[in-house]
Amino acid sequence: MNRDFPAVHEIWVYLSGSPLLALILTLGAYQIGVIAYDRANRHPLANPVLIAIVLVAATITLIDMPYPKYFEGAQFVHFLLGTATVSLAVPIYKGLSAMRGRIVPLLAALIAGGVTSIASAVGIARLLGAGADAAIVGGFVAKSVTAPIAMGIAERIGVSPTLTAVFAVSTGILGAVLARFVLDAVRIREWWQRGFAIGVAAHGLGTSRAFSVNAEAGAYSSLAMGLHGVLGAVLIPLGARILGF
Amino acid sequence: MISGLVQVLLFQGLGELVTHFLLPLIPGPVIGLILLLGFLALRRSVNASLDEMASTFSQHFGLLFVPAAVGVAMFWPHLKTHAVAVAAALVVSVVLTIAVAALVAKALSPRE
Repeated sequence: MNRDFPAVHEIWVYLSGSPLLALILTLGAYQIGVIAYDRANRHPLANPVLIAIVLVAATITLIDMPYPKYFEGAQFVHFLLGTATVSLAVPIYKGLSAMRGRIVPLLAALIAGGVTSIASAVGIARLLGAGADAAIVGGFVAKSVTAPIAMGIAERIGVSPTLTAVFAVSTGILGAVLARFVLDAVRIREWWQRGFAIGVAAHGLGTSRAFSVNAEAGAYSSLAMGLHGVLGAVLIPLGARILGF
Repeated sequence: MISGLVQVLLFQGLGELVTHFLLPLIPGPVIGLILLLGFLALRRSVNASLDEMASTFSQHFGLLFVPAAVGVAMFWPHLKTHAVAVAAALVVSVVLTIAVAALVAKALSPRE
């Protein structure tokens, strides 16, 4: 009976030699995440990206696939991140007329949020005894900026781009999961204020969550992400020089 | 939808060119976003194909983070003794950042 079946290990070799396995894994895990998210009525704790990350990480650990090998195939999905970022111009453009009267609160919220992000992370790390590790403290500086810009800033101010990216992506996931609870606790009801706050703190992953809840929140979140990225790229290296990092 | 994708890719390419030759610190896609925004503001309209492309992307923006984020998940054990302090710092910091940004926006908004 066994002779009727193809040798599974041969297919396996063929699959892992092409990008197919990584792509199926990535998209399949995300699909499961989306189904779970919808079943849970889009509850923030059932974040589809978080579910997909856990599933993929567990699977590649289980089948002993090194991360670089996985990424070799998954890079095709990763590449589209840049394309998707460009396309955020559309929701921002559509929200532009409503934004005109809100420039002052938006810019003030961005600057206050950006300063809070850096100061609180560095302060708590010091309090808990990780403050002596300069590499870790350095990694916090650009963590609320979208990962690709954050890595550029890290290189410019001489801290580890890897740690910066790790903290930035982790921050994005935390923000996407926790935002609703925080915003409800401080009684923010306007979608534009909620969306903007998520985008300031949790860039792309927060924006993804915001879009899944409300289109206006998503547009403001992408605006916040873009502004934080551009202003952060200019102001953070400047601030680091003044404070003598 | 295809014509929308072509437009987005063109602006991404333009953004990469600007980054490469003029503004090395800001990544190409962000420049591409700003250029596309300028283009839309000049034309004063979004064509249907571009609109469809953009809404597909924004609905599934999260998917595109998965490959990089898996690497992040695999990296955490390397933080070893500092992992708890770092995680605590990240959680408290993101909570405070969201709260401060939202409260400042609300406090400075004109009453509606």
